[in-house]
Amino acid sequence: MVRGGFFVFVIALTAPSLAAAETMSFGDAAATLAKTCGADITANCRGVNLDSSRLKECLSRNRDVISADCKASYFSTLDAIQKRIAARVTVANACSREIVKVCGGSTKETSKAVPCLVSAKGVSRNCAQAITDAGYQ
Amino acid sequence: MMRPLTRGLRDASSILGMLGALVLLAALAAAHAQTAVTRDDVIAKLDHFETAAELDIPALRQQALERSRSRSKNEPPPSKRPPIAPDLTKLPTFNVDIQFDVDTPIVLPASYQTVGRIADALTHGSLLPYNFLIVGHVESTGRRDNNVLLSQRRADAIRDILVNTFKIPAKRLQTVGLGEEQLLDPARPNAPVNNQMEIMTVSKVAETEPPAHPAPAAAAKKKPAKKR
Repeated sequence: MVRGGFFVFVIALTAPSLAAAETMSFGDAAATLAKTCGADITANCRGVNLDSSRLKECLSRNRDVISADCKASYFSTLDAIQKRIAARVTVANACSREIVKVCGGSTKETSKAVPCLVSAKGVSRNCAQAITDAGYQ
Repeated sequence: MMRPLTRGLRDASSILGMLGALVLLAALAAAHAQTAVTRDDVIAKLDHFETAAELDIPALRQQALERSRSRSKNEPPPSKRPPIAPDLTKLPTFNVDIQFDVDTPIVLPASYQTVGRIADALTHGSLLPYNFLIVGHVESTGRRDNNVLLSQRRADAIRDILVNTFKIPAKRLQTVGLGEEQLLDPARPNAPVNNQMEIMTVSKVAETEPPAHPAPAAAAKKKPAKKR
């Protein structure tokens, strides 16, 4: 978790252009997970709720018996959820000018500035992309 | 699809056909809305809020539990029970079918997408300013007090998924389980509609509290960014 967070931070700091990587909506990611792994979860992880870390743990523990489709995709699908969450941090970086100057907010409270950011005109391309990636729009 | 239809307008006899097609489309749209929840459905139901309701959630939980344990002979049948929290019905509400494993708070994979769409909606800019109440209900079968407990566990499970998996700040979400104490369709106490959950807009996010929306991890990560 900490290492993941650090990784995200390094990306956000060193390569803002990477923010252009598009994310998947939570709904789509969850639907993909259900489609590829639903049967495997029902068969092997009954009693495990839709919890990223617990499902990951259960599916990897059962990787010898789960379907090939699920085995090939569950990691990246759960990762897609993490990416969209991580994109919220990117907004604080990519939109720092807009948050402070246009919306009179603080980068410490990015989400409070979001309703303003979404409707603001003339936000930078990186900022607009970050807003989309985080699912704010 | 529309073009051939508009062309057909000239022909009076095809108007009937077009009406038929429209009815069919409308029916299809309605059927679709029932099966797949969209983010925008959730947003449209929840993105307005007038006055803060005075809700005492812990008290409401207690009330539901106590009423469900009442053994009085005068207890009305499920269809005649007055709703335990009539105030809730005034709030902006999104009703949603979420399938759980029998007698557990485990969400079945068939409903993952729905929960994901709710998370998408709560993350969207139009819902960020609000706090929500997740209300659990259970149809009138089995023990009445167990149903209150089960609905509470299910509402908590949805909150936990939203908080742990999708990192919706826990501060924005409250839960209450009403069991069969506030049936959504009192006329049919055993109908599946009574298993629906409700998500309600209950208040605005406080202006002054600093770490209101972003996940705690996100807030921690923003500091180094400022140095740049």
